[in-house]
Amino acid sequence: MGGGFRVLHLVRPFLSFLPEVQTADRKVPFREKVIYTVISLFIFLVCSQLPLYGIHSTTGADPFYWMRVILASNRGTVMELGITPIVTSGLVMQLLAGSKIIEVDNNVREDRALLNGAQKLLGILIAVGEAVAYVLSGMYGSVSQLGVGNAILIIIQLCFAGIIVICLDELLQKGYGLGSGISLFIATNICENIIWKAFSPTTINSGRGAEFEGAVIALFHLLITRTDKVRALREAFYRQNLPNVTNLLATVLVFLIVIYFQGFRVVLPVRSKNARGQQGSYPIKLFYTSNMPIILQSALVSNLYFISQLLYRRYSGNFLVNLLGKWKESEYSGGQFIPVGGLAYYITAPSSLADMAANPFHALFYLVFMLSACALFSKTWIEVSGSSAKDVAKQLKEQQMVMPGHREANLQKELNRYIPTAAAFGGICIGALTVLADFMGAIGSGTGILLAVTIIYQYFETFEKERATELGFFGF
Amino acid sequence: MVRGSSQSQSSSSSTSRPGTVGMAPRGSAAAAAGMRRRRTTSTSSGGFSGGGGGATGSNMLRFYTDDAPGLKITPTVVLVMSLCFIGFVTALHVFGKLYRYRSGAGA
Repeated sequence: MGGGFRVLHLVRPFLSFLPEVQTADRKVPFREKVIYTVISLFIFLVCSQLPLYGIHSTTGADPFYWMRVILASNRGTVMELGITPIVTSGLVMQLLAGSKIIEVDNNVREDRALLNGAQKLLGILIAVGEAVAYVLSGMYGSVSQLGVGNAILIIIQLCFAGIIVICLDELLQKGYGLGSGISLFIATNICENIIWKAFSPTTINSGRGAEFEGAVIALFHLLITRTDKVRALREAFYRQNLPNVTNLLATVLVFLIVIYFQGFRVVLPVRSKNARGQQGSYPIKLFYTSNMPIILQSALVSNLYFISQLLYRRYSGNFLVNLLGKWKESEYSGGQFIPVGGLAYYITAPSSLADMAANPFHALFYLVFMLSACALFSKTWIEVSGSSAKDVAKQLKEQQMVMPGHREANLQKELNRYIPTAAAFGGICIGALTVLADFMGAIGSGTGILLAVTIIYQYFETFEKERATELGFFGF
Repeated sequence: MVRGSSQSQSSSSSTSRPGTVGMAPRGSAAAAAGMRRRRTTSTSSGGFSGGGGGATGSNMLRFYTDDAPGLKITPTVVLVMSLCFIGFVTALHVFGKLYRYRSGAGA
């Protein structure tokens, strides 16, 4: 233990208060894992429907609208914060550790525990901070309207929900469940959204009589009620402002394309140094960084939107503020602001193909922005997260693995040929797919779909692996 | 079920940390399969994100897998706690309604 002051040690006094799920001391059987996962999911779903007690109103513009998809949060419910606390604290700690601002020696047990604790503590602090900020900023009505008692109750509810999400995530990650809580919750939220848009039975009156919101239901409803079947079909396929069948088909198509691309990989053969005959392979996937580029990209964009909206509301006359973004209230979704000018407009996906044809420059700018941002984030992420060529080479060396036909010192160089390329190109592909999904108007936005698909794919892989391990037992 | 056999096997196969080695070479085919499996784990973790800091890089996967000193709770407690929380909020709603009704009638 090196002497001197270390930031990480500040966490130590709090360590004994942090809730900590026990590590499984036995192998949890597959069935039990599924049960734990399902129960956690159930709790999450209930929480994201249960309204907060004591709130006055949730009307008005929702400044976090753009972040809701990736943060699995629902407005006015107990899951208002969603996974924001964990994701933010994880991101912050990862960036701090990756950029060596706080020193963490991953080989020291205590350091890992401290980092772990720090992340959790930061998560809880962020939950408290956000809850207080939400209440004080008057998202649920001003504090005088709510009363002090209710305001405190709301804060307590939000904080406790944050702690529960942290615990559930830990529970799933520690081997009681499948995958991680965060990805499970994001994927569920997006899938729920898609299913709802497809089969929602709510009717909306938009001037031409009542219409069903769900695309599939609307299709049948229109086919049955209208006399002119061709017109009805066209209506169901191309109606604006409500999800239509084309959107649904686009969603399915994007889903399939992403799954297809997931299989692309370069397989490098590796061989163990001390045990002869042990062959292995190190696959480098096309989507090396998976959905990370889009998460980072959308985090960037949503923060920009948030700032731009705040500025625009206060100083709408300012030239610089207008350059950043002009906002207008959308006529469809009540109270929702959409960008109509400035930088914010150009980094927003065009709403339809027709819109794209009308503003080719907008479409081009959006495309270039998405692709370069994704490639850049992807390349940065491998450095930050410790999956760059250097780290992989070190990891392989620790495991006594060599590539046949190459000297040990060459390992990094050899990996360097593939990993940065895979990261950058994979990032571009992810970006392109997101753009494609947005242009085709896939339900739940391109980012959402991409996230959902990659997460589901990972789940599928985990599932298969679990199955294989389980089968392995019986084989012995 | 074949509980006995699965338990005896479990200790050797459960890997808490994907980064570590120390695979005893038992039967080359099985070992190779195991290795391949593990290899895939570490790569997929490289790309795995799970939203934000979720789990990226092999060091990220190690988050939460170690025992740290802290308020130890079992998974059942977590689930029960969450259910209690849901119950609590629901109760708040119910009492809120009742209280408002009562005070409305009294006034």
